[in-house]
Amino acid sequence: MQRETRIAHYVMGSLMALSLVLLSLPLSSPVRAFKACAAYVLDPLSYQGEQGFQKIAQAPERVRELLSADVENRRLQKEVLGTAWLKSTVESLSVENERLRHELGLKTPAALHPVWAHVMERDPLRWYSSVSVDAGEDQGVSLNDAVLGRRDDVVVAVGRVVEVRARESTVLLLTDERSAVAAYLSSGTLEGLVQGQSQNPARLLMNYINSEAKIVAGDSVYTSPTSVTFPPDVLVGSVAEVNPRDPFLAFQSVEVAPAMDAASLQEVLILRARAPAGEPAAPRASAAAPATVAVAVSSAAASAAPIRRRRRASPAASSATASELAPAAGSSNAPQEAGR
Amino acid sequence: MSTVRLAALFVFAMLVQWWWSTHLAYWGAAPQLLFALTVLIAARRGPIAAMLIGWMWGLYSDVLRADLFGADALLYAFAGYAAGMVRRQIDLAATPPLAAAVLIMSWIYLIARGVLGKLFGPAGTSLLWTGWIPAIATPPLNALVAVFAAEMWDVRRER
Repeated sequence: MQRETRIAHYVMGSLMALSLVLLSLPLSSPVRAFKACAAYVLDPLSYQGEQGFQKIAQAPERVRELLSADVENRRLQKEVLGTAWLKSTVESLSVENERLRHELGLKTPAALHPVWAHVMERDPLRWYSSVSVDAGEDQGVSLNDAVLGRRDDVVVAVGRVVEVRARESTVLLLTDERSAVAAYLSSGTLEGLVQGQSQNPARLLMNYINSEAKIVAGDSVYTSPTSVTFPPDVLVGSVAEVNPRDPFLAFQSVEVAPAMDAASLQEVLILRARAPAGEPAAPRASAAAPATVAVAVSSAAASAAPIRRRRRASPAASSATASELAPAAGSSNAPQEAGR
Repeated sequence: MSTVRLAALFVFAMLVQWWWSTHLAYWGAAPQLLFALTVLIAARRGPIAAMLIGWMWGLYSDVLRADLFGADALLYAFAGYAAGMVRRQIDLAATPPLAAAVLIMSWIYLIARGVLGKLFGPAGTSLLWTGWIPAIATPPLNALVAVFAAEMWDVRRER
């Protein structure tokens, strides 16, 4: 018994020392290499488990889909015509936009390549912090790629990629206190910084808003064109509560109810900075980036996902979106004009 | 329990933990099967096996997350060590003391995780608070899982 106790002390001491090294030096190359090795060995469990679970979970749905495939096929064939027109419109507008930007000497944002991924792992103790998804380096995902989601057919901001492995990635959610995104309020041109907060992880905090501005609860919050990670005009959430003003501060803050529901997140759309070889190039991102995203949503999820629009004085935000383009589909002149 | 069975339990438990926490967690409440099993192994097989398995389970828990790498490995190993030491004073082979030990250790785990977040997290990181529902619901769920697993263990051994 004494011998076992002594060995237990030694083992605990060794494991504790090793764990403290991992905790203290997370950015050092040996620890990163160790984490990569551990991920290589342990990740397949979650990845294969998720793949298997998806197959089993989708089996009844697939049988149902098979039965209604004919009806669905006929309806979709009609929709494809509209979608093709929409795609060509977006592409021609994109080319036109790029040309005009070039004429004006404005920098053209890089093209985005959307890809859908399943949430393959999450822990209730970290619901508002991060999730793992089943798309990684092999699918062209890279660090800091923006991650979007869907809620009631609206595209919403979810987070950004913070770790990439071969076939999986870790997504840091907006609700984590280390997240921040530049955003604006729908009622005006007020911009601020939306951050996660540790005290109340179910809510976001929008900070640095002009102290003179009048803000009402219910205002929608969208990503700003100044955001480095996200395309502009993606829904972040809505104002849940306006915090009392601090007379000693030159700005005010509001509580934002996030549009994404971290607890029920099943699929996410990753906006890749680069597409893997063999994939067709996506239309170049521009001020009309949400339209690009909406097209990706409609084609990838086989259903249109109109993005909620708002009116804004800034010309940068007067971009076309799927919902604005859709009514124009009835006009025979529109594609010709757009194609000029 | 042979080494092969222990290896099978090691992989199977990780699979169940992943499936439960990803697809069966409601209102933020799901048991930490790996944590409960670490304490159970310490109670039945001693601290050394529990620490080693617990450390690797903790590593699995850490490797998929964006927060502290090594925190769960340390805390799971410590849970195995503590349960292995306590079993000399308390009869953890019986179900009620085992449930009580898992309950108390789960709360200690939640607090210790927050403290590690404060110590080793990025500057300005606050205590890693999990929210009230997980903090209240997880420890009793862990105790229930430990009791169920202990019963299964005994049934298996009697066969």
